[in-house]
Amino acid sequence: MENLMGYAEFKAPKGVIKVELETENDRIVRISLGGDFFMYPEDALEQLEQKLIGVPVGRENLLAVVKEFYSGGVQTPMVEPEHWVEAILRAARGGQK
Amino acid sequence: MSSVVINITNAGGSPKSEWRLLPLRVDDAFTAMALDEAILKLNAEGKVPNTVRFYRWSPSAVSIGYFQSLEREVALDAARRYGVDVVRRITGGGAVFHDHHGELTYSVVCKESDVPGDIIESYRLICGGLVSGFRNLGVDAEFRPVNDVQVKGKKISGSAQTRRWGSVLQHGTILISPDVRRMFELLRVSPEKISDKFVSSIFERVTTIERELGRRPDFEEVHRAMVRGFEDAFGVRLVEGELSQEELELAAQLRSKYASSEWLRKR
Repeated sequence: MENLMGYAEFKAPKGVIKVELETENDRIVRISLGGDFFMYPEDALEQLEQKLIGVPVGRENLLAVVKEFYSGGVQTPMVEPEHWVEAILRAARGGQK
Repeated sequence: MSSVVINITNAGGSPKSEWRLLPLRVDDAFTAMALDEAILKLNAEGKVPNTVRFYRWSPSAVSIGYFQSLEREVALDAARRYGVDVVRRITGGGAVFHDHHGELTYSVVCKESDVPGDIIESYRLICGGLVSGFRNLGVDAEFRPVNDVQVKGKKISGSAQTRRWGSVLQHGTILISPDVRRMFELLRVSPEKISDKFVSSIFERVTTIERELGRRPDFEEVHRAMVRGFEDAFGVRLVEGELSQEELELAAQLRSKYASSEWLRKR
């Protein structure tokens, strides 16, 4: 059993995405997303965090979850699914915060 | 308070609608944010008209975006030292220093159907009022998507918008002559953001009306220029009005949310 905490930032074309992450055996067990982006509707960010719990930390897995989240009509001007994934992967590699 | 949009006929014969213009107010951070939300909510309910207002903050304050972490964005020790309030907005975007002596804030509330559905296009329309206002002052500003107004690549105004219950609230900062040094003592800027802009100093990213004009216009002059700017950009007439009793009462209730530690530390 390996628990890792990580923190990372990633600059999307609009806004810096900040990720605090805890993984257990390479799966996300806790995640907090924040930053100076815009998301419509705002409440959706908590749903994204919920959807990411239990997801294995890998580009394809994460991208599938984030794209599915966007299919519900959420809008984030100049922030794309790939930007969230990049931020999360950085945090997962980030080690101790 | 009537919610009826009154159409008048202008010289060209086409109807021009009237939006409400509220008098310039000076409030603390919690009341200012509560008023913006109250106007938004009651506009969505059809109880108050589309509204433009301008306000200043007393004491000076930092507002943070809805999604931002308090500790990561604000130097809380500096805020305490300077007696600066900190408040979380209901709008996304970044942290802003609202300097009582050098910053004017605007807010626009209207029905979602009165702006383009596309978010960036709706910022372009509303920020168009600012661009026009800056030009009235002699500052050659332009809209920079998503939410900035810039002069030669430097930010002179930043805005944040939310859409709730069928209405839109967009508010933002107009930098007249803020204490930029204090601004950057109060705001913690991430290395990721600076490195991306290829600048060694954060001072290169921001400008002010005072710096662009070589003089410091008073609040009244900036206010007048912006009012005309919004009228031109929206094609409406801004008619002076007052807050309704219901807006004041709702704002008084909402104020306790904005002043609460739970809301401030939400993220």
